[in-house]
Amino acid sequence: MSTILSVKNLVKTYPNGVQALKGVSFDVKKGEFVVIIGLSGSGKSTLLRCLNRLHDPTSGEVIFDGKNIVKIQGAEIRGLRKKMAMIFQSFNLIDRHTVISNVLTGNLHRTGTFKSILGIFSEEEKSIANKFLKLVGIGDKANYRADQLSGGQKQRVAIARALAQEPEVLLADEPVASLDPATCHVVMDYLEKVNKELGITIICNLHFLSLVRRYATRVIALKGGEVMYDGDPKAIDNKWFETIYGEGAKEVHIN
Amino acid sequence: MRENIKASIFDIFSFGYLLTLAFVTCYQPTEDQFLDIRVGAIVTLICFIVGWVLTFVLYKFNVKTLGLLIFEAAHKKALGNKKGFFKSFWGWHLQILFWATFIVSIYVTEFSFDDLFYVKGLEGAQRIFVSLLTPNLAILPQGLMAIFETVFMAFMSTVIAVPIAFVLSFVCAKNVMGKTMIGFSVYSVIRIFNNIVRSIEPLIWAIIFSVWVGIGPFAGMLALMITSVASLTKQYSEFIEGVSEGPIEGIQSTGANSLQVIWYAIVPQIVLPYISYTIYRWDINVRMATIIGLVGGGGIGTMLMNYQGQALWHEVGTLALLIVIVVWAMDTASAYIREAIK
Repeated sequence: MSTILSVKNLVKTYPNGVQALKGVSFDVKKGEFVVIIGLSGSGKSTLLRCLNRLHDPTSGEVIFDGKNIVKIQGAEIRGLRKKMAMIFQSFNLIDRHTVISNVLTGNLHRTGTFKSILGIFSEEEKSIANKFLKLVGIGDKANYRADQLSGGQKQRVAIARALAQEPEVLLADEPVASLDPATCHVVMDYLEKVNKELGITIICNLHFLSLVRRYATRVIALKGGEVMYDGDPKAIDNKWFETIYGEGAKEVHIN
Repeated sequence: MRENIKASIFDIFSFGYLLTLAFVTCYQPTEDQFLDIRVGAIVTLICFIVGWVLTFVLYKFNVKTLGLLIFEAAHKKALGNKKGFFKSFWGWHLQILFWATFIVSIYVTEFSFDDLFYVKGLEGAQRIFVSLLTPNLAILPQGLMAIFETVFMAFMSTVIAVPIAFVLSFVCAKNVMGKTMIGFSVYSVIRIFNNIVRSIEPLIWAIIFSVWVGIGPFAGMLALMITSVASLTKQYSEFIEGVSEGPIEGIQSTGANSLQVIWYAIVPQIVLPYISYTIYRWDINVRMATIIGLVGGGGIGTMLMNYQGQALWHEVGTLALLIVIVVWAMDTASAYIREAIK
């Protein structure tokens, strides 16, 4: 399989002097389900946001589709974000809009400013949006207001919005951290479906090792802004677990 | 160190002010002497220099003045004050400052219980109150016309102000503009300009516009409009600064451009507070329009001024009643509407 994303020596230092990433390097192959683990503050969220340029990396390279995206600007960034969709821990939907309207915002990159302000989307875009809502199992909720949905449903709307972009990569920043254990698996199952059926590469931040073993095809562990482990999720044993999460840490299982 | 500068400015001013008061009290200057700006300036300057020396000496001897107490660093404040209010220097400093100002205020406002309960004066007030309570209903039609003019004046000024303030509010929001150098300079300029406009009372604007476009409701409307733009911009931009970042990141991550981000991530979050505050502004403008009428802004205020000038108290009573009813109705309606759409 071909390499879709290649991160080389990526550094991110915040204006307040905090060094969130200290030279991170890894490659991602097309179709992988990569999970990034690590303590809070280990740089997981910063890493994802540097990939789609919600944050600007300080130095290093990110090669995506054969192009270094670290220094691109304006329209090029929007082109990158189109191909690299993202979902968030707090869902980040527009609460006051309907579910279908939220999914349609996935088309904004190809809609003119004037049209999008008037809320004009084509019939084709609408039917695609409905198709993705059905794919994540909430086709019947299209005309509900987003703030009427439960957490798990909101995250599925966010996945549908991401899919409407027709991305190559889906970044997921702790997608299940604010959900209950049962809903966790539902959302993760849909991510897996997206990965396997649509062939979209997934890079996902997670906290629970049991979820990592169940869903990831590969795991990268970050500690203090550096890569501690990169490889097979099944091979993470207790010794590795303690190195990543610190001495005395206990693994919590959720089922 | 910065705190020390603020503290010393405060102390120099408070001591200088007290010394000037003390000097005036002891010397008892006549009105002519008061109006001699040169002597006055020299005396005040001397008092402030003495105040400065006093502050310097007190700081040298580590006396805790009121200024030092107010502006001391947070970590020192956390330690608490060991000395009580009446035992400490700052306690007396505060008391003398307060009571001296209070006593001077009594003289300046010519406060007098005698005047307040003077029998002839009371009779005059009673006459007006009785006239106000027995309004002349013959002028009710004209009064109604005038108050409609006032309400429409307020409405027009709000309607014109809203779109202008809507656009300006994004330029005045730090989270929208603060990211680039150019953006930040535009933000600062507009913000300063806005503060200047806002600090000029609508009454002054009404006087300016009544000279510009002539006395009448148009001048009043323009005065209300310009103050509404400034005040709505300020309030709107604070709503924008308070929106949550999540949806902004969400929409950005779809590859949307800046205008799309504003429209899809920011606008839905601020629509309700915007509407709510706009209704409130209309309500304020109705009250303000009445006052502006007093200086020639048209509407019921101008009519009120005319009758008041001729001492036609029954007619004034009619208009006052109308104003009370309309302001009360607007106030109640706007409160209920704002509550319902929250």
